[in-house]
Amino acid sequence: MGSVKIFWKSNCSKCPSAKSVGSILEEEGIKVAIFDLDTVNGLAEGAYYSVMATPTMIIEDEESNQIADFRGTVPTAQEVQKLIGRYYQ
Amino acid sequence: MNTLRGIDVHNKARMDEETTDMALFVRTSKEDLLDWKRQRIVDALVKETLIDIDTAEEISKEVEIQIIDYQIKVVTAPLIRELVDAKLIERGLEQARKMHTRLGVPLYDVDQLILNPNKENANVPHGPEATNLTLAEMIKKEYALLNVFSQEIGDAHMHGDIHIHDLGFIDRPYCSGQSLEYIKRFGLNLPNSLSIAKPAKHPEVLLAHMVKFAAALQSNFAGAIGWDAVNLFFAPYLVGLRDEEVRQLAQMLVFEFSQQAVARGGQAIFTDINLYWEIPKHFEDVPAIGPGGTYTGKPYGYYLEEAQRFVWFLFDVFKEGDGVGRPFFFPKPLVHITEKFFQTEGHEAFLNHICDIASEKGNTYFVFDRGDTAKISECCRLSFKLEDSDLEDAKEPWKMRYTALQNITLNLPRMGYLAKGDDTKLYSNISDFMEMAVQAHLQKKAFIEKLLSLKEKGPLALLTMDKDGSPYLRMHRATYLIGMLGLNELVKIHTGEELDHSETALKFGLKIIAHMKLLVDKFTKKHGMRFVLEQTPAESTAYRFAKLDLRYHSPESGHIVKGDISKVEVYYTNSTYLPVSSRMNPIERVRKEGLFHPLIEAGALTHIWLGEARPSKESLANLVTKTFKRTLNDQIAFSPEFTTCSSCGKTARGLMEKCRYCGSGEVEGITRITGYFTKTSSWNKGKIGELHERFRNQGFFKDGESDIINIRQKSH
Repeated sequence: MGSVKIFWKSNCSKCPSAKSVGSILEEEGIKVAIFDLDTVNGLAEGAYYSVMATPTMIIEDEESNQIADFRGTVPTAQEVQKLIGRYYQ
Repeated sequence: MNTLRGIDVHNKARMDEETTDMALFVRTSKEDLLDWKRQRIVDALVKETLIDIDTAEEISKEVEIQIIDYQIKVVTAPLIRELVDAKLIERGLEQARKMHTRLGVPLYDVDQLILNPNKENANVPHGPEATNLTLAEMIKKEYALLNVFSQEIGDAHMHGDIHIHDLGFIDRPYCSGQSLEYIKRFGLNLPNSLSIAKPAKHPEVLLAHMVKFAAALQSNFAGAIGWDAVNLFFAPYLVGLRDEEVRQLAQMLVFEFSQQAVARGGQAIFTDINLYWEIPKHFEDVPAIGPGGTYTGKPYGYYLEEAQRFVWFLFDVFKEGDGVGRPFFFPKPLVHITEKFFQTEGHEAFLNHICDIASEKGNTYFVFDRGDTAKISECCRLSFKLEDSDLEDAKEPWKMRYTALQNITLNLPRMGYLAKGDDTKLYSNISDFMEMAVQAHLQKKAFIEKLLSLKEKGPLALLTMDKDGSPYLRMHRATYLIGMLGLNELVKIHTGEELDHSETALKFGLKIIAHMKLLVDKFTKKHGMRFVLEQTPAESTAYRFAKLDLRYHSPESGHIVKGDISKVEVYYTNSTYLPVSSRMNPIERVRKEGLFHPLIEAGALTHIWLGEARPSKESLANLVTKTFKRTLNDQIAFSPEFTTCSSCGKTARGLMEKCRYCGSGEVEGITRITGYFTKTSSWNKGKIGELHERFRNQGFFKDGESDIINIRQKSH
């Protein structure tokens, strides 16, 4: 079904809306993991995914292959759903 | 009867305990023989320690009697001092003994030093100057550990929890980055110099000033001397010169910096020259300084053609190599690859040109400045990212003077041994070790500030000279480096896997460095000082830590250290590198090592060992472009290997025991040790161990060039 990783920081103005999109996706049954870049786990995971802008949203399939990413921008929940849907068609 | 030099001193001393004028001669360190005077012991104790005069008197009398009783034939000042120190210990006066310590070197060690090369730094040749340097360093090291750092920090260094780099240069900052604009504008007017030179009017003179100033800086800094945008700042002097003349100047520059093995300790000046194909954005509109130190009336943006001509010819010189075709060890050319680089006309041809040299001789360093980042690089990989205030300074580029005051490396595997698999303990060890590094920085900073406060009368007069409203050394812009060594081994100790074995191990490595990054940010806020992580080059530290851990953490460490234990050619993997023996293709190495780089603010580098391979310039250019566009790797360098023959004078590709051309065994290997080329005969045992295990990527470049274009963006 795919999963979504969201990376955020406290001083980032667009991050709350990225997290809101995450909540909508979660309600739709998509697995969402949220990482705070000011924590060790978040920063390490962010480095692994080469996160250089906030918010960043990484969309992956079940085998952790990247389907799409949004760096410094926030997609709508529908956009993300569409990308995942198209990938699994 | 006790006699000394034919005089009865025993009875005289016994008869009159106040006697201080015995005819006992003492060899002092001032090359003279002094009459025995007990009072000198008292004076020294009172002057150098905090003990009371009565105790000093008592000690001096006891020592006097001891000397007479022992019938010592040659009494030396160091011996008296040791006897006095023993008396202080007997009385439990530890602090006084420390204050009264004599710093020095055993006779045997000096003998060995004079006869044998020093392998701690492969950039130190063997000779009388090098011996002087090493001896001075030994005394200053002891001084630093006794008098600059606290006992706790000194012990942590001695035990190998941390390594304080360049202790032998305790009275200098670590390294520096500067601008040619300083000497273009102010000429050479240095404290204590015998003559003053006005700003250069001709390019050759500007080069001479640059070389002299670099030598002066080498006397005031422990490590590298970096120069920013060298080709651009020379450009206004090159207008109207014929190509032959510019080529000649390029040749002079490279040879001048590669043949400076007559400076401090016989060392070449560790010189980095930062070069650009484009005009860096922050210099485009800056008024250019030309001959005579006057403004030319044009901005630097106007001098693109001259700057490009010069940098092209510099690389022609690197390609040719020295008089017998060997690669130049210094200066190190660092080419900045930026967004604007790819928008500047001719960049494809230039990239091919510098990749040609990278393949042929290995000199080129590719420094990636992505987005709006601008950097000045120096040392093996150290770079300073320019902040807003620096970009403001760039309008008057002579102000762009930077320093890293000190470098402390943490022994990561040690933390692993101590944690015994416990996560909480491990993270707490990291915090403790980092706290120690911060304390060491605070202590060195206080010491350097004390020296700087003496201004022109002090030892760092050059760094206090003030030509533009602030001292040459701008302490407010200093950085304090915290390096790491052996992440790969720490991960193995803690998880059972090396960094290249699984994504889980790699992620665990990232967690360690992320923890360190958040800690340096916290310390920066707390102390108002710029603490930054750096990938320590650790030329000798990788060996030292491995040896110390074999001593303190055996038998576990025996399964962890790399290299050949039977030959003591042991080492830990440098900084955050993946194992050098890992048989991964260079693309994977660039990508995976690059994941750590954004966390390491003061600079990071990936080495690609070429061995005998000689890839096409196009394939390297392709790899460089993809590295810039598709990874976050900070810097890459390609390292070929060479064998140079002292019998026939020829240089061949690869490391061989005999000359490929004449069969002579009088050969010398040359390749990159950490961040610079040098002869392998000067390497320490740890680095020799590493050299044996390096995976050379030869098959990849010979057979798989097409793979180079396949850097995957999403290969997690």
